[in-house]
Amino acid sequence: MMTIDSDARSGSERPVTYIRFDGWLSHVENAFNLIAAFSILTLMLLAVAQVIGRLLFNMPVPGFIDITEQAMAIFAFAGVAYCQRVGGHIRMEIVLGRLSGRTLYVCEMVGVILIAFTVALLIWGSWYHFDRSWTIGDSTMDIRLPTWPSKLVIPVALSLLLVRLIMQIYGYARLVADPSREPVAVPMIEGVEEHAKHEIDEAFGDETAEGGTR
Amino acid sequence: ATETFAADVTWNVSLWGKRRAFTEHVEKLAEEVSAKTDGKFELKLQYGEALSKSRENLDGISFGAFEMAQICASYHPDKNPSLTVLELPFLGVKDLKEEIKVSMKLYEQPAVKEDLGRWNAMALMPSPMPQYNFAGKGDVPDSIEAFNGMRVRALGGIGQLMEAVGAVPTSVTASETYQAIDSGTVRAASFAPHAHLSFKVVEVADWWTKNLNPGTVQCPVIVNIDAYEALPDDFKQALDSSVDPALAHYLETYDKVYEKWWPELESQGVTQVEFSDEELAAFAEKAGPIHAAWVEEQTANGLPGQELLDMVKTTISE
Amino acid sequence: MTPLEVGLMMTGVMLVLVVLGVRVAFAAAFTGLVGLIIHFSMKMGFERGFFVALKMAGTIPHSKSVTYSLSVLPTFILIGFLAFYAGFTKQLFEAAKRWLGWLPGGMAVGTVFSTAGFAAVSGASVATAAVFARVAIPEMLEAGYSKRLSAAVVAAGGTLASLIPPSAILVIYAILVEQSVGKLLIAGFLPGVFSAFIYVAIIIGISAWRGDAPPVRGFTWKQRFESVPGTLPIIAVVAIIFCAFFFGLATPTEAGSLGAFVVLMVAFFRGMKMKQLGQALHETAKLTVMIFTLIWGVLVYVRFLGFAGLPDAFRDFIVTLHFSPWMIMVCILLAYAVLGMFMDAIGMLILTLPVVYPAVMALNGGEGVSAVDSTFGMSGEACAIWFGILVVKMAELCLITPPIGLNCFVVSGVRPDIPVQEVFRGCVPFFIADVLTIGGLLAFPSIITILPELMG
Ligand code: NA
Ligand code: NA
Repeated sequence: MMTIDSDARSGSERPVTYIRFDGWLSHVENAFNLIAAFSILTLMLLAVAQVIGRLLFNMPVPGFIDITEQAMAIFAFAGVAYCQRVGGHIRMEIVLGRLSGRTLYVCEMVGVILIAFTVALLIWGSWYHFDRSWTIGDSTMDIRLPTWPSKLVIPVALSLLLVRLIMQIYGYARLVADPSREPVAVPMIEGVEEHAKHEIDEAFGDETAEGGTR
Repeated sequence: ATETFAADVTWNVSLWGKRRAFTEHVEKLAEEVSAKTDGKFELKLQYGEALSKSRENLDGISFGAFEMAQICASYHPDKNPSLTVLELPFLGVKDLKEEIKVSMKLYEQPAVKEDLGRWNAMALMPSPMPQYNFAGKGDVPDSIEAFNGMRVRALGGIGQLMEAVGAVPTSVTASETYQAIDSGTVRAASFAPHAHLSFKVVEVADWWTKNLNPGTVQCPVIVNIDAYEALPDDFKQALDSSVDPALAHYLETYDKVYEKWWPELESQGVTQVEFSDEELAAFAEKAGPIHAAWVEEQTANGLPGQELLDMVKTTISE
Repeated sequence: MTPLEVGLMMTGVMLVLVVLGVRVAFAAAFTGLVGLIIHFSMKMGFERGFFVALKMAGTIPHSKSVTYSLSVLPTFILIGFLAFYAGFTKQLFEAAKRWLGWLPGGMAVGTVFSTAGFAAVSGASVATAAVFARVAIPEMLEAGYSKRLSAAVVAAGGTLASLIPPSAILVIYAILVEQSVGKLLIAGFLPGVFSAFIYVAIIIGISAWRGDAPPVRGFTWKQRFESVPGTLPIIAVVAIIFCAFFFGLATPTEAGSLGAFVVLMVAFFRGMKMKQLGQALHETAKLTVMIFTLIWGVLVYVRFLGFAGLPDAFRDFIVTLHFSPWMIMVCILLAYAVLGMFMDAIGMLILTLPVVYPAVMALNGGEGVSAVDSTFGMSGEACAIWFGILVVKMAELCLITPPIGLNCFVVSGVRPDIPVQEVFRGCVPFFIADVLTIGGLLAFPSIITILPELMG
């Protein structure tokens, strides 16, 4: 559940440009995830306003369902690249966990290439979906909000994910080339003990040593 | 049976929900078409949004993922602005037959053809819906003023109309309506009778507005133009000639819904509210500005709004 | 190839990818996309079919994510992380200890109730086990409890997270199978409480027999009542959610938001810092996007299955099997238990339900079947609710079973002095209790269905 982001290597061996680019990308991903987080907080406050407005003042938020739905695109997608960076998208590790060295890195790389292929095609498809609502028109049922802004969120968020995936392909490729290199900016597989350790780190946050970049 | 050397054709039909009165004309259409072509032209009905969510049926038609679908104009008013003319409140449509007549005439209008043509779609037949009357809990509204301050579930044009008499349209999803009325989140909801039945609104309702008849929704069955044009002539003929029997079958099925509706109102002890003619006339006047606003908006968008509305009104008064 | 054969082949491809460790959401999306490309290419040639498939797949992420009923998920997740970072745990344990300590094994009984309460609100089984391992185990050891019992109680108590409302996983189930979210949440309440009481009975029995868990006495009534306010936020959240649904006072999203708002206010009042709030928000966003990605990724695959006609075919296959329906049901549940050992509960549900659920419903006699005509003696709706609770209980059970019962590893990780084998051994009685509970829920479905039926 973490990114190995080590500064311990000597300069000559370190892929400096790659690390720098990873840093920039991480900032963008963090910002996107923060936007998602704030959209959740806003949704929560809007719903509280809806209940209070309805119960106390007979003034529900007009078009509450429409507004919520359109805002959902933000928290459903904005953090998708962040989640990929920190290895948050679930998977089964029963086979991968038994591999190591070059075999493991080849498997990881092929897996990420497959994801990148899928995401690239979906960017294309979801762009068409946005484009139809932009050129022909589309709106919500009740208060007729345009749907194109929320449809645009998808190709944008997936594009950011694609950039992250390409970074990870490179990250695994340099490990395939030389498995003794130190992994940089790729999520590493962990056994159940390590997994438990990270769950504990996350549970106690500040109290234990900081576990990698969040 | 006709001799045809055309290859067998299968059309996928995208529908939402389960098989019900609302989809019976499509079932009948498939049956007729199959009989007329010796089973060489098959309409494969796919329920439950297996092929597309209802709101994206026009999208699916536009790029040819399936060849036929049912849509409701109000689910996405800006995808099909020309169809929304029939969703305006207080048009005075008497019954389902009249709605079929005016709908079929509307689909012939060049502006409507062009509007749907943007989605590579054309309307084949309507799914006429009864008027969206209100069922609600608590004090029976003895006059239209009684709606003042009442929280109601009413979307789009009917919502605007209710707002004009002081009601408070409140967001509730259809499936949550029962609980929402039961708990007082809203006091009343507008649906067609079959929906009042299937969302169990009648079970919590104390009253139902029998003759308010504020309006309804417009839900055509559409086909992909390219797929239609590519049909051999005899298949095309088979499809076109099946529309009338399909609609006749639809009306028959809908009569059966009402056979359930009236006894259900009785057994649940639901009061049937009837408003006086004067009151209804005063209420209908509130629809005037909504009609005018619609015409203005659609004209600004390049649709012959006034022409469409006039056509609808003349057809209805014929 | 027929569309159905393509469907079967691609399902095989997806299973291989998932087992090989491709992230589930994308393995499913990849399979669905390739499947759609094959399907449309066979129908209209590759050049056109490829683009139709892309455009079809491209509608799904937005179409399926932007659905009002799903908007409750982040609010429940937010409740969990806020409760977590606000640290409501110590007061909860303290109150449970003062009120229940006098029982044989009283501290362990208190631990079950406080972990169950906190797990219920946080919805996070594993994290609950981690926190209570630190809060409760030292006190139990000090009072003379055995390591084995202390550790096992914490590991097992956390597994009640998904049944007692609020529960994100039950919301996901309800939406996937198109049942009422409110009814599913209410349905989980009794089985959750029922499980907790069975745990308690076991603890009291074992403690009285072995005598290795002495009662803790000497708390005055004054001390007891003083401890009550600390538990109020947790009780308030469960009460808000329960009442909102049971009496229909608010929609799921509204109820979840109210719960989150209450927890946020209490947390601020108790001095939660902006940094912790930020962490809670970041974690909420991360888990939310994970779940949504899983949902739309799998639904790309399910859309392809729709075109291939596979769920219908699987349903027909299950219904025509020459085994007793109860036997098939038990096999399905066992399959979930095995799958749950290797896969996250949410992922397991989203991945399997689109195919398995229609088959289960058909087995019972169809969606609209009445209780009298049905196989399992319950209406279609009741069967949907019953199956949902059972599957979730199976998934939770896997958290305390080898080989990768994560709760046990987490407890052992927090307490390096307690080896993981010791925790697993301690969990054996709780595992047996869970098996009995599942048997009870199978035999007496009304434990699950009675509350939702009262809702009407
Ligand atoms: Na819970
Ligand atoms: Na598990």
